[in-house]
This record gives sequence, C-alpha cells and structure tokens, in this order.
Amino acid sequence: MSRVNTLFSFAVVGLASLQAWAQQPAASPSRNEVLIKNAVVMTVTHGNIQNGTVYIKDGKIAAVGNDVSAPAGATVIDAGGKYLTPGIIDSHSHIALDDDVNEATSPVTPQMMMMDAFDYQDKAIYRGLAGGVTTSLLLHGSANMIGGQAIVIKHKYGASRDAMLFPGAPRSIKFASGENPKRVYGGKDQLPSTRMGNFAVQRAALVEAQDYMREWDDYDAKVKRGDKDAKPPKRDLKLEALADVLRGKLMVQIHCYRADELLTEMALAKEFGYKVRAFHHALEAYKVADELAAQGVAIATFSDWWGYKQEAWDAIPWNAVISMRKGVRVAIKSDSEDFARRLNQEAAKSMRYGGASEEEALKMITINPAWIIGVEDRVGSIDVGKDADLVLWDGYPLSSFGVPNKVLIDGDVYFDRSLPGFGMPRYKEGE
Amino acid sequence: MVNQSSVVRRRSSDSVVGRWSLVVGQILLALSVCFLSEAAWAQGKTLVLKGGKLLTISHGTIENGVLVISAGKIAAIGAANSVQVPKDAEVIDVTGMTVYPGLIDSESYLGLTEISAEGSTNDLIETSDEIMPHMHVYDAFHAESELIPVARLNGVTNAIVAPQSQDTLPGQDSFIQLDGKSANDMLLVRDIAMPLNFTGEQRRNESWEKRKFPQTRMGLAAQLRQAFIDAQDYSERWSDYEKKKSEAPAKSDDKKSSPSPPKHDLKLEALLPYLQGKRPIVLAAQEPSDLETAVGLAGQFKLKFVLNHISHSQSVLDYVAGLKVPVIVGPIYEDPKNYERYDAVYKLPGELYKRGVKIAFASYDAHAVRNLPYAAGYATGFGLPHDEALKAITLNPAEIWGVADQLGSLDVGKTANVVVANGDPLDVKTDVKRVFIDGREVPMKSRQTELRDRYSR
Repeated sequence: MSRVNTLFSFAVVGLASLQAWAQQPAASPSRNEVLIKNAVVMTVTHGNIQNGTVYIKDGKIAAVGNDVSAPAGATVIDAGGKYLTPGIIDSHSHIALDDDVNEATSPVTPQMMMMDAFDYQDKAIYRGLAGGVTTSLLLHGSANMIGGQAIVIKHKYGASRDAMLFPGAPRSIKFASGENPKRVYGGKDQLPSTRMGNFAVQRAALVEAQDYMREWDDYDAKVKRGDKDAKPPKRDLKLEALADVLRGKLMVQIHCYRADELLTEMALAKEFGYKVRAFHHALEAYKVADELAAQGVAIATFSDWWGYKQEAWDAIPWNAVISMRKGVRVAIKSDSEDFARRLNQEAAKSMRYGGASEEEALKMITINPAWIIGVEDRVGSIDVGKDADLVLWDGYPLSSFGVPNKVLIDGDVYFDRSLPGFGMPRYKEGE
Repeated sequence: MVNQSSVVRRRSSDSVVGRWSLVVGQILLALSVCFLSEAAWAQGKTLVLKGGKLLTISHGTIENGVLVISAGKIAAIGAANSVQVPKDAEVIDVTGMTVYPGLIDSESYLGLTEISAEGSTNDLIETSDEIMPHMHVYDAFHAESELIPVARLNGVTNAIVAPQSQDTLPGQDSFIQLDGKSANDMLLVRDIAMPLNFTGEQRRNESWEKRKFPQTRMGLAAQLRQAFIDAQDYSERWSDYEKKKSEAPAKSDDKKSSPSPPKHDLKLEALLPYLQGKRPIVLAAQEPSDLETAVGLAGQFKLKFVLNHISHSQSVLDYVAGLKVPVIVGPIYEDPKNYERYDAVYKLPGELYKRGVKIAFASYDAHAVRNLPYAAGYATGFGLPHDEALKAITLNPAEIWGVADQLGSLDVGKTANVVVANGDPLDVKTDVKRVFIDGREVPMKSRQTELRDRYSR
C-alpha cells in the first residue's frame, strides 16, 4: 500500500496537471501472496517458460521462472499446464461511457473529460474482463477534430470507481479526421464538411492555443521578474488543454484512416511541435508504413474489419503485419464491446495474414497497446516488478479456441470461469 | 504472405506427347483470346488432390487421402491406395494439407452491399412496408461484388443471401455459389426460403409523434396474420376461377359464360409457396416471448420453418428442442443481456447440440463472411464438439437448405466445392491455400490481395 502511494506521489509530482481524480490512491486490494505454478508462461518480452511459475507479492510480479518456490501461506494456483499471458490491453475503447462518447456540438472540444462520463458499473467492463482484458483506454469519439481527454481503467469490475482507474497513467487526448467530422458537421452545413475543412479547423485551434500559451508564458515571465502589476490572462479550459498538447503533456491519439491523412496529421504535428503517439484505425497504414516508422508513431488497428465506409475500403487484413515488418509498433484494438471480448482471436489473425510469430501477435494486444497508453513500464508483459495482471487460458490463446479461465488484476482474481453466476469472486449481482 | 511452396502442382502425364499437347493447348488458348473466359470455365479436366487429410464430414477423416474431381463433381474419394488415379488427370500434391468441403454461410448479405455507409451501394432492405414478401434477393444480387472473392478466399463457397431484417417479411432469400460467370450462374436457388422476423426490431413507428400502424408487436402480429389470411383468400379465389374455367363450356364464343380471372397480386402470390409448405420460413426471434409468439404465428398457418437467432432464449431450450426444427444460431458474438452471464450466447450452439437440435452458423454479414469458420471454432470453447462445429457450416446447412445431395460433404457425386488449407478449418491461424468451386480452381486473388501485393514490396 505504502509503496504504491509512494510510487504514485512521484507520478503526481511529475505530472502536475493530472486531474484531481487521478491523484487519489487506488483502493487497497488484498495483499495476498499468490503462486501460479505449472503454467506455460508467455512472458511477451523474454519468450515462453514451459512448466513455469509466477510469484505475486503485493499485487506485483515478484518472480518468474522455473525455480520459483512458494513461500508458506501463499495461495497456490495450479495451472495444470495451461497458458498464462499478461492481461490483454485494449488501446481503443468506448465502453463504460453510456452514450456520452461524443460531444458533437463543436469540432474542437479538448476540455471534455471522459472521466466525467465514466460509468464504472457498465457490464461491458465485466464482459471484456471475461475475455481477458485488464486495461483499457477509454477515448472520446471521432465526431470532432479534437475530442476530449481519455481515461485509463483496469477492469476491476465490482470495485469502486476510483479503484478502477489506472493509477498514474499518463493523459491522452483524442484527435480525429476524415469522414466522421465531415459527416457530423457537414450534415449541419457547418465547418468542416471536407478534409480541407477538417485540417483548417485543427490548424486554427492549434494557432489559437499557441497565442494562449504565449500570453500565459508572458504572464509567468512577468511574475517571475517580480512584476506586481502583472495580470493573469483569462483562463480558458479549451485552450489550456490544447496548450498542454503543445507542451507535450497530453499524448495525442488520432483517429485516422487514409494514407494521405496520416501524412497530413504527421506534418501538422511537426508544424506545431507535438508528437503523435498513435494513429487509431489507421487502416491504410500499410501504404505509408515507412513514414510512420520514421516518426515513431504507433498504430492501433483492426485485424480484418473493412468496407463499412469509404475510407475503410482499402483496408486489408495484412495491414498489421506489413506495417510491423516496416518497423511500426502495432496494436490490435477493439473499438467495440464485441471485439473487446476476443482480442486474442483478433491478434491471432496476424499469424495467418502475414505470418506474425506467436510473440509478435501477442505483443499486439499486450506490450504494444501498453506503450500506446504510456503504461508499458507497468503492464503488458510478465516481468518482475510489473503489475500482476494475468490471464490463465483454457486452450491456446492465439487461436479460435482460447478462452480465459481466470483473470487476475494486481494479483487478485477478478474473474474465474469455474465459478457460478457471473464468475466473479469479488462481485455478486445486486451488490 | 500466402505460401504455396508446400502445395506442389504437377501433371501425372510426363510423356513427350503430354508436354506437347500442353504446349499446343496453351498456344490455342492464347490465340483464341475471345474464348478465353469460356475456356476458363470449362470443367472438363480431371483433377486429383493427393496426400491430404480429408475431412469428409459424412464419413470421418481420411489421412493421406485421394480426392478425384471430374466434370465438376467429386468422382472418387478414399485412402491413398484405394482410389485409382485416372490417367492424364492433373495431380495436385496436397501432402500436409487439410481438405474439406466448401463452407456454407446460412445468412449473409453478399451481393446486396459494397460499402455499408454508402447508401448508393446498398440494396439490403425495402422499408416502405413491413410485409414485403414479393422482394426477391435475386433481383438485386450483384455478382461482381468485390466482397465475394474476399469471402471465397477463406473457403466459403456457398451462402444464403437474405434481405436485412427490419421488415416482418422482408422478401425471399437466394442460395448462391461464390463463383460463376454471372449472377444467373451463381444463383443456385433463386427463391429458397422466406425470413419472418419477430424480434422487436421491426417496430419502426413506435415514436409517439410519428405513430402509425403497426406501432407495437400486437400490430405487427395482426398485420402478419391479415397478410396470410389475405393470401389464403387469394389462393381460394384462384382455385375457384380455375375450377369454373374447367367447368365452363368449351365454346369460346360465349364470352359471358367464361369466368374472368382474379386480379394478380404479387405480394399475396409470393406467400403461397410458404402457405403450401413448399419452402421453409426462416423464423427469427431473440427472446422467449417473441419466440413463442412467432412459433404460434407459424403454427396458425401451418408454415414449415427453421428458427433463426434465438440468442437470448436460454431458458426455453427444451421447448426449442421439442419443436424438432433446425436452428440457425447466433451470431454467437451478440452481446449478452445485462442479466446474462458473459458466455450465455457463446454457449447456445453447444446447449442446442446437447438437446439434439440440428444447428448451423451464419455470418449475418457481408464483409465478415470470411470469419464464419471462426465463430464455429469459438463455440467449441463453450461446449460444442469440434466435429459438430464443422458440420454446422457444411453438412447441416446443406441439409437445412435442401441441397445436401450436391453440397456439404466430400462424397462421390457431389459438386466439387473443395477447400485446401494448412490446418484446422475452424482456426484463425489456418491459411486457405486453394479453393475449388464446381471443380474449377478459383484464383486466390481479391481486391485485398492486390493491395497487399502492391504495398508489401
């Protein structure tokens, strides 16, 4: 407990502008010691360990290997030879937000906080958990060129609201371009109704933010000089958020399909001096994968969803692997309550479409999405010191047949298939 | 990328004559460019798939088997030494591969849509009225759809094409083959069945401001009953007319005494084959109350039916089994209701199988038809035996749709719709290497493979 708090305080100091909600410590989970033995441990970062053991202490992975012994009093889970993977991470989700995904009343709404709409009792969190998902990035929708600020949750279904927030996760903001903003605003005969309009809106907002930032920088400089007459500029939540983008305090997650738009978004980022963390959907990434790799921009894409709109017409199921082979960090994400329940199957498709290795496929739903969210040092692999977010599988996870048997988050079992009812040891219906 | 090195094609005849005839054939083919397409459709040559693991569906698995395809049909099948390889047959070595019948999708929208969000590419449903039995999928079926090769590349060779489900009676389904010269070629059965949807989704006038009949489930059911009663009357009127006509004196000049025919009504006429039990109704419901209402409606008019979806009817599965009808189950990825356990819908296929119900899977999609086998595979994680899952996308749908004499298993005399893949048909990792439809090898190309090849260089 105290260690978590200490760690977390550092994060708060480092990210002064973190929202108040995020600064609260996670509710205290039980600090049981757990030993999972006799598993095929798929570490993601250092291969598979046959007949492996994982020792969990204080919610963290304390030891991994063949020669890990059980301290007396530790709860022992005999995996019986089953596969053990890190918890799945979904880097693009809109669950647990009711219908409050899009504030579609203006194309620039960076001051929207998804936290304000977070419905922590949404059953979709449970259903994703039962599919092995332990961490999700809940994003604003794509109606706006610049949408709201995301939250990162752990799927501790049944826990209190604040206990479900990923402590210390960095802040992300959602941008979007292409058909969706065009349709939403063009449909009302407003700007933007074209891709020219899209980027003009985005550029105008960023220019405004530059001015705002300059005013505040000037003010701060005056205060620093001891100017007693310095008057602070008027605070504007919208521009404050955009200034944080320009200052690199918000990670930029961009919904974008077409290759030309990926290039334009990267050019805009360069022009205004911020970095794009990841392109989401990015169904044409395979056409400009070299450029994405050069800029270090990741993609969070679908395995094989296509044709649902014009800008998804050139989507091919080889997108993930072609992009990966050209050096792009690739995640497979859900963007859907449905896919979130079987991301393992979706990732396994990359083994068929393009011949990704088992480890490469697994990375697409673990360490790579962890990087996109900015929590890759905390989750996404089975390594000592990381959060004990683990999935024990019935069947081989990277196939049509893999089904989670148990899911642990921070060392506690949150889902167990063998249990009746909802299969949740820490939650009962009606509570 | 697609690795074909392990699937080596060679000719059984290595003689000089054989080679010459091949060369001459190629020259002739090149010269007669205008006949090229006709030649490509020829089913004349005999093909032999040798060395593969044959999943016959109907009579078990044959390791190291031989499958002979001739004139578009399966001519012989058996273990390596039990089947004679015809002289001059083209032998394809499929050692290490798995061979199985083409998959059958029991509800798709192939050929009715291209890009979902682009209305101009959609012919999915006519929503001007809830009762539209005279809509025929074959009138809209777009044989050249780019979606068809994409589905075909994953081993789906046949499919039901249905209109979407917003109408109680949205029209009539066609049964297609996913390759052919034209729509006429691909539409194997032009009217095969008629959906009757009763899921609540058909209510479209429920808003108080825009209310009009039918606004409720009661309205929809009453409207449907009236339609079938009108069709019964219509049928009787025509019977009377035919009877009077046959009884009327043969004197053609006596205009007054010859009966006049009733007015034609396409809508009512479309219902007659179903009232007569000639074709099945596909009865869609989700929850127990709707299911029982829908079954009651079908019973009232003695309709022959198969069930569709029943995704949230776990509590009445014994009742379902007692109906002794097949069920098109799913989509199993339908979200459970909040009161249901996470695997309530995943488990349905297994639970139905346990109760002796014949099941089939469907994609209920157009773009995602290629994922049909994966849904069947996923159901095996929730209690459905593997062989039964495979059957539910091959022989079961062939039987349900009345085409089992031609499709659904690797048996002599059936249409040679055959798939060669490098593993379990139900696994997402399995790569389909070859697809034969009507005994013709289909090129493993689609708009998507072209994009892949252009950009993966």
